[in-house]
Order: sequence, then structure tokens, then C-alpha cells
Amino acid sequence: MNNRYTEKILEAKDVVVKFNLRGRTLTAIRGISLDLYKGESLAIVGESGSGKSVFTKTFMGLLDANGRVDSGSILYKGNDLAKYTTEKEWLTIRGKEIAMVFQDPMTSLNPLKTVGKQIRETVELHQGLKGAEAKAKTIEILNDVGITMPEIRYKQYPHEFSGGMRQRAVIAIAVACNPNILICDEPTTALDVTIQAQILKLLHKLQEKYSLTIIYITHDLGVVANVADRIAVMYAGDIIEVGLCEEVFYNAKHPYTWALLSSLPQLGVKGEPLYSIKGTPPNLFHEIHGDAFAPRNPYALEVDFEVRPPYFEVSPTHKAKTWLLDPRAPKVEPPKLIVRMLEKWKEAPEHV
Amino acid sequence: MLKYVVKRILQSMATLVVVATVVFLLLRLMPEEGYFAEGYDKMDEAQIEAALTEMGLRDPLPVQLGNFFNGILHGDLGKSIIFRPKVPITKIIGPKIPYSLYFGLASIAISLGVGIPLGMVMARFKGKFLDNLGSAYVVLIKAVPAAVYFLFLQLYVSDALKIPMLFNEKKPVSWILPAVCMSLSSIATYAMWIRRYMVDELNKDYIKLARAKGLKNSLVMSRHVIRNAFVPMAQQLPSNILMTISGSIYVESLFSIPGMGGLLVSAIQRQDNTLVQALVLIYSCIGILGLFLGDLLMALCDPRIKLGKKGSGR
Ligand SMILES: Nc1ncnc2c1ncn2[C@@H]1O[C@H](COP(=O)(O)OP(=O)(O)O)[C@@H](O)[C@H]1O
Ligand SMILES: [Mg+2]
Repeated sequence: MNNRYTEKILEAKDVVVKFNLRGRTLTAIRGISLDLYKGESLAIVGESGSGKSVFTKTFMGLLDANGRVDSGSILYKGNDLAKYTTEKEWLTIRGKEIAMVFQDPMTSLNPLKTVGKQIRETVELHQGLKGAEAKAKTIEILNDVGITMPEIRYKQYPHEFSGGMRQRAVIAIAVACNPNILICDEPTTALDVTIQAQILKLLHKLQEKYSLTIIYITHDLGVVANVADRIAVMYAGDIIEVGLCEEVFYNAKHPYTWALLSSLPQLGVKGEPLYSIKGTPPNLFHEIHGDAFAPRNPYALEVDFEVRPPYFEVSPTHKAKTWLLDPRAPKVEPPKLIVRMLEKWKEAPEHV
Repeated sequence: MLKYVVKRILQSMATLVVVATVVFLLLRLMPEEGYFAEGYDKMDEAQIEAALTEMGLRDPLPVQLGNFFNGILHGDLGKSIIFRPKVPITKIIGPKIPYSLYFGLASIAISLGVGIPLGMVMARFKGKFLDNLGSAYVVLIKAVPAAVYFLFLQLYVSDALKIPMLFNEKKPVSWILPAVCMSLSSIATYAMWIRRYMVDELNKDYIKLARAKGLKNSLVMSRHVIRNAFVPMAQQLPSNILMTISGSIYVESLFSIPGMGGLLVSAIQRQDNTLVQALVLIYSCIGILGLFLGDLLMALCDPRIKLGKKGSGR
């Protein structure tokens, strides 16, 4: 298996993000290194609270005021974004280079401005168009994101749009920025299942038309199975496994990824209760020793509690942070449940 | 829109009729002494009865009410009885209006001009020194009874700045203190509103999106935050402004300003029934007008209020 994307567009190295909360320090991101390749779509999955949003917000300088990149670097076009501090610096990135689509389309649009105006504001800002040209471009983009009767929709307010339509409008704003990277933070979580699929399809279409590199953030592995080239699995502020989509689905190595796979509703058997991961994620206020997942991990080795595992390479594109991959570790097979389910799923993948 | 305006006007008129009726009925409960300028003590029962009958006060209530409304429709609010006997009330109130109006307008200008920038600064520096300073002012003004700091200003500040303690039409410096007194509380109110609404706005997702799409902070503020923060204010603003213009009861009597507020106090103190009735009615009209304008302004600012349709919500 090979990654067909080879040119790195963004490189995060050992990124640590800390928040100050009532005099205490919380480490939300504990040293993530991740390369993003031009043109790919990368999915970041993990339970809520695992740091997906925080990690990607560091690319745009959008951390809350009490948070900071404590160490590490984020290289983009030869600049280290982790060193950016001023608004002036971030304005060279926001929208222009990296744009974002938020989770809740119901609250992402200003209720007092027409949808057209809000998209047009972005067109004027990033494409240097004015007047009739800006309006024409806006209508073209509305059309691109699948909003019918764009001239009429242009003049309407967000409350006249349905949830799915609003998310299309939010996507239109992102696209109007003409970015290189588009971060979609749970873009479909707030939407109906049928609309979810439409939005994902739309993003896929736009990716080609506007040559975007897309990061999908989701807590649901099932959502990204069809759209992502690569998957990064996050747990407690770290990426514990990353690989091509097929590698993570069919050859997962980290017990946390197994647990995530086991809890996929699409793989469940009718009538049987869904698998759910026992225990709770670690408290990020405390320093974490060893593998953060160890206390919830039935396969944990003694060393998992003491020494933080490094990445073990499974293939050139696939690596995982678990001592189970160490040559000295005992051989552990993934739970029968997922092996069985995945085999079934391989035969009929259209269920996802 | 027209439909909505007409509907609200009709509603307001209905409210007005109800209020006028209630005012009228309540005034019937006042001591009858209030209908006699002098000599009430010396009159016997029969004389009193005769006088009351002559004034139409022994007619059946519905007839009295009819006469009352008929008068209002013809711009006749009755005649004062005790305060300035036999003088039509419109003549008494007329000359008072400019004083209340000018002081009201001055106070509005000061309170909006100071209160709104203050609130914006507080929101901008939320949790910092300037915000705390502003909050201290708001708490002080709202917690301490107005009488206390009015007296303080009147006694000490007038002395320190060598300006007159009481209003004097011929000395413009004497106008400053009452105008400031009238503004202190509304400055606090406006600052508090704007700060709160702006802080609310700053936490909204669409403000985050506006930042994420690369809009400068100053533009995020001017195009999104401030504009949106004014909408919830729009509803309350007209009432507030009208109330201020119609005269501050306390400040006017404290500084001896011959305005409407002072008049109400004297009328009540001297139990001039018809004058009280007329004044209460005027204040109710202003209140109702304020609510009406507030709703209208709000509807103009907020497209989510579906005009003329039922179940409009925010
Ligand atoms: N402003 C903040 N102050 C303190 N902690 C925060 C703040 N923002 C996020 N966090 C913490 O960072 C962790 C990761 O949050 P987040 O990235 O939003 O999770 P996800 O997007 O994966 O659901 C959480 O534990 C959250 O409590
Ligand atoms: Mg999130």
C-alpha cells in the first residue's frame, strides 16, 4: 500500500498545547507529530475531549485566550505557525491559507445578515472582488455548494435555511476564502444521516474543484470510511495510530483503535448490545505516565503503565504507539469480534 | 410590515383605553376633598352633594367615564382644582414640557454618549482593570439609593465647583448638575446592557467563524459584534428615552426645575384629583408609546421576527 500523495503541505512536530484553568495547567495536546500531504483528505478521529479541535485550532491561531502552544513547531510554507503571536501574522493564514467549517451550522452564521452578504464579505476579503463582480462570484459559489436558486437564496437570512442548507452556506464561506487547507470540525455531527452523506459528497466534490487538502474531524469512524485517504486516531491529546484508511480499518494495531472499531454501529450485530469502551479518559490536569490508554486497555502490558510507547512502524504509511508492536512483546491478536465483523464488512462494504 | 404596524397600533390603543379606564376608576376612590379648592371643611353635606353633582361626579359611572373619554378625544383633560383652580390642565402642563424635554434630551445625549462607549470598553477589556472599574461604577450607582448620591452631588459638588445648588433659568451653569444627576443611572444601565450583549456576542459561533475566515478583529467588532449587540437594546431603548424626556420626578423636584416630574409630585402632595389623573394618563401614554416603538425598532433590526405572523420568536 502506498500513499499517492507525497508533497507535505503542513508538518506538525511535537506540538504541546496547554491551557490555564483557574490557576491549574491542563495539557490538552501532549506532543503530536503529524504530516499533512497536499491534496489528501485526512480524518482525525477520537472520543470527544481527545483534543481534535484544539490540535487543529493551533494551525489557525484560534485557541481560546487561556491556551497556548507550549512547545513544538507547525511548519507551513517555510514558516513556523507555532511562533505566530500577532493578529497580523495570523491574518496571513486565516481563510487565505487555511479555512474551517464548524460543527453546528445553526449557530455558525450571523442571524442578522443575509447569507449572500456573509459569503460575499469573504469573497471581497480574499478574492479582491468588489460590487457586481463580488456578487456574481458569490452566486457562483452558492451554486457550487449545491444551493439551488442562488439569486433568491443570496437575499435570504440564515433562519430561512434548513440545517443542511446552512452547512452548505458555511462551506461556501470556507470555499470563498480560496484556501489550501480546509479543516472540517465535525461537519455533519449536527445533521440528519441522509444529509450527512450529502454534505460529505459535496466536500469531496469541492476538494477536486478547488484542489483542497481536507482535514475531517469526527468522533465517528464510520463517517469517514468513505471519504478519508488517511486516518489519525487520537486519544487523550496524542495521535496513537495513523495510517491509510484501509490500514486503520483492516489492520489496526492499537488496542484503542480496536475499541473504536468494535463500537462502530455499522459493524454491530442486530439484537446484540453495541460494544462500548469501559472507563474514562485520563485527567489531563495530571501528568500521564506510559500509554494514556493503559488503564482502560485489557491488553495492557506492564510496560504500558510506565513508559510512553514510541511510534512503531507497521508500513511506511502506518504507525502506532503501543508496546504490543515491540518485538519483545507477546503476540496479541485483535479481538475476534472486530476480525469477524470486518470480514463480514469487507464482503458487503456498502453498509457503511 | 404595514400589517404588523397596524396590529401593534391597535393593540397599543386597546391598552391605552384599559389603562385610562383603570386610572379613572382609581381616582374615583380618592377622597372627595380633592375636588374642592377651599372651604370643604366649612360646607355641610348638602352643599358638598350639590357641588359634586354640579361637577358631574354624581352621574352614573358609565356616564362619567363617557364624558372623560369624550374630553380626552377633544384634547380636554379637565380643569385643575387645587393646584391652580379652574385653569385647564393642558395650560398648566404645556409650559412645563420644554423643561422636561430639554433636560431629558441633554440627559439622553450624555447617557448614550458615555454609557455606550463605556460598555464597549468594558466588553473589549473583559475581566481586566477597565472592566472592573466600569463594573464598580455600575454596582455603586445601582446599589446606592439615588437620593444619597443626588444629595451628595447637590451639596458637595455644587459647593466645590462653585455652581448653584438649584436650577436657575438664567444661569446655564446651574443646568449642569441636574442633567448629570439624571444621566448617572442611565449611563450605568446602557454600559451594563452593551457590555453584556457584546460579551454574549463574542462567544457566538458565528463570531468565531468570522475570525476563522480571516476578518480583522476591528471588522469583526464593527460588522458583527456591535451591530448584533444593539438588537436586544433596540427594544428597550425607546421606552428608556421617552421616560427620560418626560421628566425625572425626583431630580426635578430636588433642583426645583419647573418640569412635568416636579408637577406630578406637587399634584399628588396637594391631592389635585383631576391633575393627577391627567398626568398619570400622560405618563401611561408615553410608556405605551415607548413599548410600541421598541417593538417596531426591534422588528426593523431583526429579520427573524416574522412580521404580521403569529408565533414570531427570536
Ligand atoms: N479553553 C479551554 N480551557 C481549558 N480546557 C480546554 C479549553 N478548550 C479545550 N480544553 C480541553 O482540551 C481538551 C480537548 O478538547 P477538544 O479539542 O475540544 O476535544 P475534541 O474536539 O476532541 O472533542 C478537553 O479536555 C477540553 O476540556
Ligand atoms: Mg471538537
